[in-house]
Amino acid sequence: MTSLKSKGFFSKFYSWLPIVVLYVSVLNEFDVNYLDLDFFSFNFPFILIFFFTLKDFKNFDYLLVFLAGLINDTVVGLPLGLSSLSFMIICIATSYFRNITIRPNQAKDWFYFLFIIILVNSLNYSILTLFFSYNLILWGYVVNTFFTFLFYLIFLTIFKFYLKGIND
Amino acid sequence: MASSRDDFIIAIRSAFLKKSTQQKFSLLSLVFTSIFIIVLSNLDFKAVRYLKIGINELVYRSSFVVSIPENFIKDTFIEVTDYTTFFNDYKKKRLELSKLKSNFVSSEIIQNENRELKELINDYVSTSDKILAKIIVDHESPFLKSIIINKGSKDNIKIGTNIYDQSYLVGRVIEVNFKTSRVLLLSDLNSNVPVTIAPQNIQAIVTGSGDNYGQIKYIKDGLSKEFDEESIIYTSGTGAIFKSGIPIGTLEIIKENSSDEFSVEFYSDFSQLKYVFAEITSTSEIPDQNVSEPDNETNNSINAKLKILEDELEIIEETNSKFLEENIDLKNEINNLNNKLLILNNELSSKNITISQFNIDKTELEFLRLNLEFGHKCRKSNKLFQKSVGFEPGSDEYKKCVLNKGVIIND
Repeated sequence: MTSLKSKGFFSKFYSWLPIVVLYVSVLNEFDVNYLDLDFFSFNFPFILIFFFTLKDFKNFDYLLVFLAGLINDTVVGLPLGLSSLSFMIICIATSYFRNITIRPNQAKDWFYFLFIIILVNSLNYSILTLFFSYNLILWGYVVNTFFTFLFYLIFLTIFKFYLKGIND
Repeated sequence: MASSRDDFIIAIRSAFLKKSTQQKFSLLSLVFTSIFIIVLSNLDFKAVRYLKIGINELVYRSSFVVSIPENFIKDTFIEVTDYTTFFNDYKKKRLELSKLKSNFVSSEIIQNENRELKELINDYVSTSDKILAKIIVDHESPFLKSIIINKGSKDNIKIGTNIYDQSYLVGRVIEVNFKTSRVLLLSDLNSNVPVTIAPQNIQAIVTGSGDNYGQIKYIKDGLSKEFDEESIIYTSGTGAIFKSGIPIGTLEIIKENSSDEFSVEFYSDFSQLKYVFAEITSTSEIPDQNVSEPDNETNNSINAKLKILEDELEIIEETNSKFLEENIDLKNEINNLNNKLLILNNELSSKNITISQFNIDKTELEFLRLNLEFGHKCRKSNKLFQKSVGFEPGSDEYKKCVLNKGVIIND
């Protein structure tokens, strides 16, 4: 009885893992800044949200993603609602892409991801500089986009393992 | 053509409006909510402000808890790095400490002078109290540099409160919650600090670079030629955002192709801050001295002045004893040098004697050699019927003749 219960808890936790990881990453703002690498940064939540919304993962609720955006804004110090808007744009893009795709292709997904993060980061940059008069380094955004694009492939492999585990 | 456009519209409509079985909200409604929140958060409504403060408190605390494992890894990494450079750091710190000790006395005198001068011009006296604050969130975005501290409006923190690492400026408070606050670091692109560059006494603005250094801006043309690598930068107090005289960093000159670039190396390493000091300031006008006051207040002001004077006297005595010690050291050094000089003079005179003796010996030797060779030509002949042309040996003429290699020169 106990083993069954514990099995149920673990399988439940496992199925909610992506959303847990998303919340941890926005609360923690995981970075490797202490390595002192100039300009190096990547946006892990973008990769996570893009992948799991594209796969239409059952526990990846849009409302939870929206709330994760609000938390991200609070931690980073951005105007409240901006990250939520970015996350929602990614969700819309993946939803549209899922609707028009008949035969999924990894390379296509990857380049579509690049297009989306360029769009979202451009929108972020424009809103912050035009409406909120923030001083930002454009070069930092470009490098961030580039590394997020590259890291997508690494995380794709990990996420696939995870999905395989769920299906088994 | 028309069918592909229809497909596109259907796909878009489906993406925006269709909810899958698990989704409780459509994406379109969430997008509008996001935009609504962005607009609302910029309007300064009381309800929105309190809601924001509530969210901030909750999220900052959660972020602190969630960050514990990463902070542990980060701290371990930093500790290992520190350990490897420990000895070099220790030597550097010892040198710095000895320099600081010598600067301390003069700094105390200047502080007292400053206080007295402020009183003389009937200005305000600023009493400040520094409180220790712990950094609970220091996960900077790649684009924005800020930290969260565990002190808020409850502890009298206000927007603009100066934040220090020891006595060095690190930034100012830009957002205050009940028990937490956000501090904008000097390295942020949006940070601008009016500064004075000493000893040249040039006014400028230090702007964050988004990296771990600052940039110097708005200097009058030509003034930058006076800068050198030893220039230090401290707040000028212009604009009354920051207090004056807070050290920020040192000047660094970067040689570019045609022009020089100036950056500021901050005294404080913002990536390794754990605790900071927040300065709670309160200002009070100094009452006019001409206005009659109750006796005890007069006594208080006299006592305060006496205290200042006593402090000053103590500092002056300390300085004097230091100067006396230096004086004794210098006298000893002069004596040593005089002794050395005397020894050297003696050595020089003995060397001179040896040289002159050597020169005499050399001339004598040369004469003897020539005498052997040409002596017979110069010597006076005693033969009969032969006219004598030489000189008596030992006479000056004889010597001259020998030195001329036997040639007799008649005067």
